[in-house]
Amino acid sequence: MRAFAYERPTRLDDAIALIDGHGPDARPLAGGTDLIIRLRDGSLRPRIVVDVKGVAELDAEIREEDGFLAFGALTTMTDIVVDGRVGRDYPALAEAALFVGSVQIRNRATLVGNMCNASPAADTSPALLVYGARIVATGPSGTRRVPLDEFFVRSGVTTLARGELVQAIELPRPTGRRGSVHLRRTRRRGHDLASVTLACAVTPDGVTRLAYGSVGPRPVLVLDDTGLLADPTAPAADKVRRLEMLFAGASPSPTSMRASPQYRLAMLHVLGLRAVATAIERLASGASQ
Amino acid sequence: MSSNHGAEAGAFGVGATAPRVGGLERVTGRQEYVADLPHGDALHVKLVTVDAARARVDVIDGTRARAVPGVHLVMTPADLPQPMPRFGPQRRDRPVLAVGETKYHGEPVAAVAAETPDAAEEAARLVEVDYEELPAVFTIEAALATGAPLVQEPSLRPGDPLATTNILREHRYGWGDVEAASNQADVVIEGTYAFPMVTQFAIEPHAFMAAPDGDGIAIWSSIQHPYWLQRVMADLVELPLSKVRVFAPDPGGAFGGKQHAKYEPLVAFIARRTGRPARLVLTLEETFQAVRRGAAEVRVRAGFRSDGTLVFRDIEANYLIGAYADIADRTVAKGSYTSNGPYRVPSVRIVARSVLSHTVPSTAFRGFGNPQQIWAVESNMDEAARILEIDPLELRLRNLARRGEAFIPHETPADGDWAASVSRAAELISWGGPRQPGRGRGIAVGLKSGPTTGLSYSTVRLLGDGSVVVYAGTSDMGQGARTIFAQIAAGELGAPLEWVTVVMGDTAVVPYDQQTSASRSSVLMGNAVLAACRDVQSKIRTMAARLEGLPDDGIMVDRGEVRIGERVLPIREVLVRGLGRLGGEVIGVGEARKEADPDHPLGGTSAFYEFNCTAVEVEVDRDTGDVTVTRHVTVSDVGKALNPLQVRGQDEGAAIMGLGHTLMEHYIFDEAGRIRNLGAIDYRIPTTMDLPLRMESDTVENEDGPGPYGAKGMSEGALLPVAPAVAAAVRDATGVVIRDLPLTPERVWRALHPELTGAPEVRQAIEGAR
Amino acid sequence: MSGMNAMGARHPIDLTVNGQRRSIEVFAHHTLLDVLREDLGLTGTKECCLVGECGACTVIIDGRSVDSCLVLGVEADGAEVTTVEGLAVDGRLSAVQRTFLETGAAQCGFCIPGQLVSAHALLADVPHPTRPQVEEGLAGNLCRCAGYEQIIEAVLSGADLGSSTADDGRDQGRLSTPAMGDRSATPDAELAPQ
Ligand code: FES
Ligand code: FES
Repeated sequence: MRAFAYERPTRLDDAIALIDGHGPDARPLAGGTDLIIRLRDGSLRPRIVVDVKGVAELDAEIREEDGFLAFGALTTMTDIVVDGRVGRDYPALAEAALFVGSVQIRNRATLVGNMCNASPAADTSPALLVYGARIVATGPSGTRRVPLDEFFVRSGVTTLARGELVQAIELPRPTGRRGSVHLRRTRRRGHDLASVTLACAVTPDGVTRLAYGSVGPRPVLVLDDTGLLADPTAPAADKVRRLEMLFAGASPSPTSMRASPQYRLAMLHVLGLRAVATAIERLASGASQ
Repeated sequence: MSSNHGAEAGAFGVGATAPRVGGLERVTGRQEYVADLPHGDALHVKLVTVDAARARVDVIDGTRARAVPGVHLVMTPADLPQPMPRFGPQRRDRPVLAVGETKYHGEPVAAVAAETPDAAEEAARLVEVDYEELPAVFTIEAALATGAPLVQEPSLRPGDPLATTNILREHRYGWGDVEAASNQADVVIEGTYAFPMVTQFAIEPHAFMAAPDGDGIAIWSSIQHPYWLQRVMADLVELPLSKVRVFAPDPGGAFGGKQHAKYEPLVAFIARRTGRPARLVLTLEETFQAVRRGAAEVRVRAGFRSDGTLVFRDIEANYLIGAYADIADRTVAKGSYTSNGPYRVPSVRIVARSVLSHTVPSTAFRGFGNPQQIWAVESNMDEAARILEIDPLELRLRNLARRGEAFIPHETPADGDWAASVSRAAELISWGGPRQPGRGRGIAVGLKSGPTTGLSYSTVRLLGDGSVVVYAGTSDMGQGARTIFAQIAAGELGAPLEWVTVVMGDTAVVPYDQQTSASRSSVLMGNAVLAACRDVQSKIRTMAARLEGLPDDGIMVDRGEVRIGERVLPIREVLVRGLGRLGGEVIGVGEARKEADPDHPLGGTSAFYEFNCTAVEVEVDRDTGDVTVTRHVTVSDVGKALNPLQVRGQDEGAAIMGLGHTLMEHYIFDEAGRIRNLGAIDYRIPTTMDLPLRMESDTVENEDGPGPYGAKGMSEGALLPVAPAVAAAVRDATGVVIRDLPLTPERVWRALHPELTGAPEVRQAIEGAR
Repeated sequence: MSGMNAMGARHPIDLTVNGQRRSIEVFAHHTLLDVLREDLGLTGTKECCLVGECGACTVIIDGRSVDSCLVLGVEADGAEVTTVEGLAVDGRLSAVQRTFLETGAAQCGFCIPGQLVSAHALLADVPHPTRPQVEEGLAGNLCRCAGYEQIIEAVLSGADLGSSTADDGRDQGRLSTPAMGDRSATPDAELAPQ
């Protein structure tokens, strides 16, 4: 690994000043499970790594706040997996977090880091999208909230401005019952990068939210408010056609070695149908929201 | 040792599940592998490569690299003896550094030696290499095409009629008359089967160290064949064997990948040039570029009578070996010679070619050339069973050679009751029993010949207190050889297991052993250790005779005891009295040979066969192509399980490794022959989550092997038939025949949905309404 | 806020490794794995993939298992680290170390330190795991020798024995070679050959 300077600021202002001052030459470090791989393989060559784990204003808390559940910047996948509130109100997120790497990786990898890397294959993005997540970003000119859907640009690129750090992710509290689920496709059962990742949430008003990743430059959120997908009695063929429309924007990379575009698209549909069915079941059973 | 269970002499003799010798070190982190050895004063070596498979190297400029503080040497081909020294177990074709042209992605063009790994890495990046990428061949088809670029210059192959092709060698075996037999067959089944390029992926990446050692040189390597390496090195650096000392600490897994020299010569030249110890620890990515298994395409034509009797087999196999021969052509020869399998077939023709390519040199890998053709022949058997409407189990049993049968002319006859293994596997998986819907079962057998020649020496010292030191030149790479030798010595000399020390891995101290391969060590070195123990026993007998004033022949020594008429004494008691006040010890030497046969196509007959039958049950998700192995049964004919716990470990490990190449493992190349999935992120091997839902391993033990107490070698068998058994189960579950590995979800899905995928790149045959 | 540290500067850190306080200086770009193996001489923790896939480098930091190849050494400042060398306490093997020996889980042994550390972390969280929990808990530790069955069995039976360092008087747990028993038969020292 190439040498770099290392700072561990204790105040958010200082962290922001460092990130802002060095611009693209600086990289924030939280869990490091992606950053350190890229430092070693040379695909990232920052002059300075800013370890944000000492920042007083950043924490690993999952906090209930007015109208939403907030995940601190240092919340790890393990924190999410073991949190009862997440399991109850946001099961697709809990399921997605459990798919991230091995235990060792989940013990380090942060939810915020997973978003900031903006990998199209990130497992937690679809779940966060269907739950309407917001990013809380703080920078030199203050704090702003961005819907997650407006945060992603393409692989590795977000709308985060120079000097901004993500302080938390907020999920609106569910307003009623909801059935939701996360599914993915991989090359083996053991941890693996997803070749398709998808989350689905169905609400009693007949609205189905689907978000999918790894089939294009960024994860995509789509909505079915016709009530068709959420209808347990609707014919499968109709649902397939509806999904075709909803998935029209999927454009898997033709050069990926993990799966061909054709397979990814086919699996997107398989997962879509299965996820809708499971979400409907969960909504009906009321076992989870 | 870690246990006192053995305080009773011989309690952990052969046949017992003795705890692993070296186990304590392994569970406490104290076991030292090459990379763990102290290296305070060593230079760190980093390889310099170019990002191309085949490239013409024009200029190597080390100026900027040399300027990095701490850099001692930028070694380029010009810094090596001229002409470039070459080495290799079969042909001396591999240069220490690439000369003029790289032949595969990852072949080093230079190397840097520096005081720290950081400096070496930095300097390696700064070595400027001017190169031009050249067209490369990395498939069998491309390598055999007319006008294909030659991987090896014809000048390297003087007198070789094939020198102007990429065929390194063609092997032809067979018997009977296939043409004539073709007319006698009621049904002929033909297919071409592809086996992927996979890598050993030992969890310990290869590590090497060399240091000037007085007027000689010392080498440390995680190597399976320390004495072979010693010869290669002595040759290259022009020293007598006695001045080349090879230390071979226990490898952290090897699987064939650590049999032969790789970067030891480079590191040795650096050590001699700098006068300093030099050390190279490969990254996992670099090991993928150092060792792999040969890929293969195998065409099988087999003729059957309508009752299922085999009348002929015609096999043509092309192996995609790498840019240098390493031991690959030998894997082709051995894998082909027995590729007709354990069957009685009157007419057989086998043609196999080693095809050079611009890829990582393939080498030995558990199964040694056999899994490729077993995949083809056993898959073909399954297709035949279906078309003949004969149960696949029944079809095997009908054609299986019986004990003593010369199923390959002029070769070791069948040395086991192979049908017993097949029946046992069928019984364990309830072959004929009901199945859940959506599931399918498959069965396959695998046969591999053991070593064709061999030579092992051992020295055993019975020390004055009855404890024992065994010297054995085998490498214990996880198979547990150390434990087996300790068990033999403990049992024969009446010492508790923890009183036995086994010394390995130092050519200056331990007597010669030809190699650790072909699952030979329990048999060959085991016999040598046993012979050395018997030598000690005969000296004890003489000692007892002297003490008792009796003739030698009134006394028997066996399994730790001395019998004098009615009296039975522990060896130790006789020893202590016999050595007397001066003390001392009793030294025994043993030797085991498997003689060569110059007229044999392989240079010698097989010392034994490894035979395994694998039966699996799978569930296939038709929508996604996922294959779940719900049950995996593996039964090996081991002769005698010297240590049942270790036998199980070897069988299960081999089985899961087999599932790797069956379901997920393969190298992926880009259009120019660069490996795209270097490293652990995109080259997948099984994890604990990828296991069969149920795994059962069993053995057949008839004490009919040539090893100690009737043992046979057994470390590879359970890998051999995994792929065809799984593919047969997939066929049974879905009706779809797939002839390419690995059975990734996408490949299975494509085969299941030809209507969606159009003309698939996957070769497949859909079972019609036959 | 401290002044800007230069690239390639050494950072002083204090950490506790296997119960021992250590104060050292490390480079920012060296991983905890480098620091353990090279600076602290603890070579029980192994190096293989360096991308968080194989788990050979697994250690426990502040109660959680991590891949030490994906942690910078400087990040461990103030941390409590447990490596394979710290699993045995007072010269006695832990229950899982013993069951690894008993079930034959250790073959070549290279992956075993990581497997053991993961097993300890798992059992600390879930003292009586089910088989699927063990599979999940060890999925980040590749073994190429075993079919994993004996490893899983070792963890399950280690859990039965209790995840702590059990002192059940069995010599299996001893770190040192057991006494050689009756040595009176050895030759008199004063008569050693001259
Ligand atoms: S070496 Fe750290 S996970 Fe493989
Ligand atoms: S014991 Fe060899 S890799 Fe696990």
